[in-house]
Amino acid sequence: MKTSKATLHSRSLAAVALFLALGLLVALPIGFIVLQAIFPDFNIASFAHPFASFSTTLKHADTLPLLANTLRFGAVVALASVLIGVPLGALRGLFRVPLARVWDLLFLAPFLIPPYLAALGWMLLLQPHGYLEQIVGVNLGHFLFSFQGVVAAMTLNVFPIVYFSVSRALAAVGLRLTDVARIFGAGPWRSVMRVTLPLILPAIAASALLTFTMAIEEFGIPAALGHRAGVELLVTAIEQRFSDWPIDLSGASVLSLLLAVLALTAFFLQHRLLMNRNFETHSGKPVATTPRELGVWRWPVLLAFGLIAATATLAPLFAIAATAFSRTLSGGLTIGNLTLSHFSALWVDGEGAGALTTSLSLATATALITGALGLLSAWYIVKTRIRGRTLLDALTLMPHALPGVVVGVGLILTWNQSFWPLTPYNTWAILLLAYSCLLLPYPVRYASAALRQISDNLDAAARVHGASASQVMRRIILPLTAPALISSMLIVFAIASRELVNSLLLAPSGVQTVSIYIWQQFEQGSIGDGMAMGIVTVLTSGSMLAISAHLTRRFNHAL
Amino acid sequence: MKRFSLLLLLTMSLSFGLAAEHANALTVYTAGPGSLGKKLALGFEKKTGIKVDLFQATTGKVMARLEAEADNPHADVLISASWDTARDLEKRGWLLPYESPNAAHVPAMFKTPSYVAQGISALCIVWNTRTGLPEPRDWRDLAAPAYRNQVTMPDPALSGATLDLLLGLQARLGKQADALFDHLHRNGMVVLGPNAQALNPVLQGAKSAVFGAVDYVAYGAAVSGESIKVIFPSSGTVVAPRPMMILKTSRAQNQARAFVDYVLSPQGQKIVADAWLMPARDDIASDRPLLKDLKLLPQEGAATTVMHAEVLQGFAKLFGLR
Repeated sequence: MKTSKATLHSRSLAAVALFLALGLLVALPIGFIVLQAIFPDFNIASFAHPFASFSTTLKHADTLPLLANTLRFGAVVALASVLIGVPLGALRGLFRVPLARVWDLLFLAPFLIPPYLAALGWMLLLQPHGYLEQIVGVNLGHFLFSFQGVVAAMTLNVFPIVYFSVSRALAAVGLRLTDVARIFGAGPWRSVMRVTLPLILPAIAASALLTFTMAIEEFGIPAALGHRAGVELLVTAIEQRFSDWPIDLSGASVLSLLLAVLALTAFFLQHRLLMNRNFETHSGKPVATTPRELGVWRWPVLLAFGLIAATATLAPLFAIAATAFSRTLSGGLTIGNLTLSHFSALWVDGEGAGALTTSLSLATATALITGALGLLSAWYIVKTRIRGRTLLDALTLMPHALPGVVVGVGLILTWNQSFWPLTPYNTWAILLLAYSCLLLPYPVRYASAALRQISDNLDAAARVHGASASQVMRRIILPLTAPALISSMLIVFAIASRELVNSLLLAPSGVQTVSIYIWQQFEQGSIGDGMAMGIVTVLTSGSMLAISAHLTRRFNHAL
Repeated sequence: MKRFSLLLLLTMSLSFGLAAEHANALTVYTAGPGSLGKKLALGFEKKTGIKVDLFQATTGKVMARLEAEADNPHADVLISASWDTARDLEKRGWLLPYESPNAAHVPAMFKTPSYVAQGISALCIVWNTRTGLPEPRDWRDLAAPAYRNQVTMPDPALSGATLDLLLGLQARLGKQADALFDHLHRNGMVVLGPNAQALNPVLQGAKSAVFGAVDYVAYGAAVSGESIKVIFPSSGTVVAPRPMMILKTSRAQNQARAFVDYVLSPQGQKIVADAWLMPARDDIASDRPLLKDLKLLPQEGAATTVMHAEVLQGFAKLFGLR
């Protein structure tokens, strides 16, 4: 009896620690945004004039257009992503598309190329006298610097979400039920519309909502292109109110709340859709879902895949690389203009190397912290019946819907107060907090999935043989979840090593990250040096993601 | 489980503990160019052994951070790119008076009891020589039909020097300045972020000229081989001294004074000159045109009475910025 009491005690102790950590990471910043939005003078510790800034901000002439622009932007991006992602995903899921693995890899690009870098690439490629004009003699500057242009840049970045979700859903469903409909006399068009489409509709809708959320949250693309295109969105307006002089703290908080509510609504809807997705397509009987042959259609299909992949991935990468290897921008694409000097500039006065070291260590620390917190949370959510499990679930999932800029604003409002005896503000720890908050959902989700596959009997068997809770954790749970956990930590590493908006808002004096370095080179320095750093980043996060993909595949085979 | 939670707490407390600020460090907030701030910090560290924590961004972002931290200040020394911001902070009583012995060589117009120039930039037209358009000679040439949709300008809300140009033109030309910006706007000039961001389209040839760029950024690009030319307008231009000041709230005032002394020493001023800025001291050699070589807009004598907030707002409204 004594041991089980001790076990219970240590369990609840760990639970308290976990709640404390999550409260610190997630709940506190959100709470402070709400407080600052309600009490305009909260930052000087006064609770005067509650709700005053709501009416001033909402009445402000900019607010409604900002909100309308953001909604329209998100909706158009979601629609465009569906238009590109669904046909490609359907082809990939149902048919034997040549070079399928290559396309999957190329469409993973958004995780590979940070969006701000892609936007800068598009600019260098398409603007008048850009690389496109230097090669084929036409430029698309007018298109790029317009609402449609920003939408296009964003869509090419997020449509793979729809592509992967549709192709996976269809690969699971197969054409079996459609064939049944055909046998019962439905025409090919009718059987697809009445059987296949309804089966994958939840997947399409959910992924469209996810692209909507990502489009309204992403900061880099509108920050790089939006201004020249005259497209002002909530994300950029929040950053501007917060970090351009003269600042407007309460206005920024109210807009942050607006954006957070938009994103959370979309995310909640998406979550509901996926929860209700209860089409029993797996009856337990072994079914062979072999993809069909494309026949003569393989060539046009191949062309479509090639065209989209070349536009979405290879084109911006080319522009980034071309700039990184060009001595001068005005020199253009000539052999004589080739140089490696931008790469050596990264190492000369230690600035670029310093930024790289900072980013890589922060990303490592973030991966470790989110990995530990994620595993523990997932374990409590999946394997225990403690009270507050739902709260835990919500706390760990919420950052997935929270815009990065909102988390940054919340952390500043929280920690830049004089009443804390010790504060991470103005140290690198605040970046660690921001990254950990934003990326926590990845390990939680991966670890939950892995934990659900571990039978409770293993746990029970270990206990029967006298193992303590920590022994069970170390000897059974950890080894079995390790591959999933590690691959999620690698994703965390890849994203944390290049996060932009929080780095810009929160980086203390004396600390520079890779993303800040690139952004500053773009704003105030040499764009060639910035792009050279971009190449280094793409290579680092690319290799991390490759390892992660490899581990996930092994993990899936093992089960 | 216990060990796990202990480990967790340990990691968290460790990261906070390590994150405590350097006891003896000096925090310097500086407007770009980044490499200049970095080089000065390194030189100072080497000379005195005092560690410098540098925060470098645009003038707009540096000032925003200073304001956001008003209750909980971190900066010891501030270097802005706009003389006007220093005047503003002095009025608010945020500055610590200090006259460095090394400031003896700085001309009187570039120092006050509580702030002194680090270096001086001049505002210019940057022109891409490969565009085939007629070389602009004066500000208003960029409002001519030949330059329709061909001109960029840095955002004065971000670039301190451009703010000084805007204020200078307003103060010295009055109504004429309003008309000039109106013409530029109708001629399709776009306003783009800080200096390099306005310059990049001109380097690649997407645009032909920058209105009101700081000259040192352009000199730097020209030296690295870009085909651009720095043109000082015939009607005259404005110089933007970069004020350097110590904040009253500084907890390292002695180190802050030592930093100001270092920047104004011949060694520090050499680093400033190497960044293509005019040195603040008049006894430092430089390869670029100096103050005496430039034609300035007529000085009306009276100090600028126009408030920067109003000017910025009017400008932003005209170009649809905020």
